[in-house]
Amino acid sequence: MRKLLLLLLVLTFPVSGWAQDSAGEEDNASQSQEMTATEQEDAFLFEDEEILEVWDPIEPVNRVFFWVNDKLYFYLLKPVARGYRWAVPEPWRVSVKNFFSNLAAPVRIINSGLQGKFGDAGNEITRFAVNTTIGIGGFFDTAKDHFDLRIKDEDTGQTLGHYGVGPGPYLVLPILGPSNLRDGIGMFADSRMNLLYYISEGWTYYGLRAYDKVNDLSLDKDTYEGIKKDALDPYLFVRDAFIQYRQNKVEN
Amino acid sequence: MLKNLPGFLILVAMLFATNAIAESTPTDDVRTSVDAVIALLKDDTLDTESRRDRMREVIDKRFDFRAMSQRTLATNWKKASDAEKQKFTELFAELIQNSYVSKIESYTNESVKYPGEKKNGKKAVVDTLIITSSAEIPVNYKVYLKDGSWQVYDVIIEGVSLISNYRSSYQEIVMKDGFDGLLAKMEEKIRELKSVPAEAS
Repeated sequence: MRKLLLLLLVLTFPVSGWAQDSAGEEDNASQSQEMTATEQEDAFLFEDEEILEVWDPIEPVNRVFFWVNDKLYFYLLKPVARGYRWAVPEPWRVSVKNFFSNLAAPVRIINSGLQGKFGDAGNEITRFAVNTTIGIGGFFDTAKDHFDLRIKDEDTGQTLGHYGVGPGPYLVLPILGPSNLRDGIGMFADSRMNLLYYISEGWTYYGLRAYDKVNDLSLDKDTYEGIKKDALDPYLFVRDAFIQYRQNKVEN
Repeated sequence: MLKNLPGFLILVAMLFATNAIAESTPTDDVRTSVDAVIALLKDDTLDTESRRDRMREVIDKRFDFRAMSQRTLATNWKKASDAEKQKFTELFAELIQNSYVSKIESYTNESVKYPGEKKNGKKAVVDTLIITSSAEIPVNYKVYLKDGSWQVYDVIIEGVSLISNYRSSYQEIVMKDGFDGLLAKMEEKIRELKSVPAEAS
């Protein structure tokens, strides 16, 4: 799901005007004495409200890449994933996902450690040891299935966020999808912590990365199709979901 | 005194038990609705249309669409007239129901777990976990006590609040096209959704 959202689909920096305006008006309104009884009754529903901070200075460019990725998804990635889903039984595909996820264990170990989350780092080390051995090279998530050790996603973008680095401008990257300046740089660092980078090279490496994505997509329940169908403006929907998703990741 | 201790404990236990019966917990209420939806999904005697209608009924009882609309529009809600509020709530309810039902239809074989809830007076968050073959998706329901039952006013999927998401997009549309423009877009979207028959995936 994480990869999926990343595939398909900023906070100490200045926020766009309307977000600040609405935050201000909200405060004024809740302090106002002229509220009706119903409004007062309902006011408590707004106490936990968070204002989403959106910074999208290159929206026109992002929209172009969003459009390109959209076409890439519907005309290339999805048909390939559909054929692959038809040909390969689901348990195999889940195993492939486990395999790639296990190779990425150092990303989670290093970034948990860098954030001082030593319990999580230890958990990921154990998971890696168990899944690489008993889980036969990572094809089985034995650590989760038999020892109840659950995966906890940590990456370089989250580590930077943990130390107060804001997300920077929202970016839609070609092929890779929604990101921001901080997480884009983080993704590059992550790729160098991933064992995949050290066991393959050149076209094999990029081929395997593409295969990982197609495999993930084959396990997905048409999330992007759902967004396209429901949202009034899919670009805005994906952007705002991504911003919230990463903010929540950094905070946890 | 000690002799009466067992009796006293039973009495205390009964008092707690009665309290529990008098007021259902947030998790109870959410679970009742989720279970009802899952039961409808598994009921083979229903055709797609009547299943969807029944699901909408279940969702309608649990979701407070007026509170959701209010939170979504935020400042624009305060500016809107009563007629506009009414209109928006109707359209928004239809959009949310549609999106929720089509999402849920793709999760037929998955199970739902209830790891816990956080209650704070008349508000609570019910945590649920959708277990699929390859992932566990946290879905948290924000609820508040309204006329004796817990009503959903936001759904948070993997840290993404449905309402915050809609709010941000809708605010931008209101800025560009005005409130009427937003209502027109919503009506157009609903027409679009109705013209497309249920797709098999």
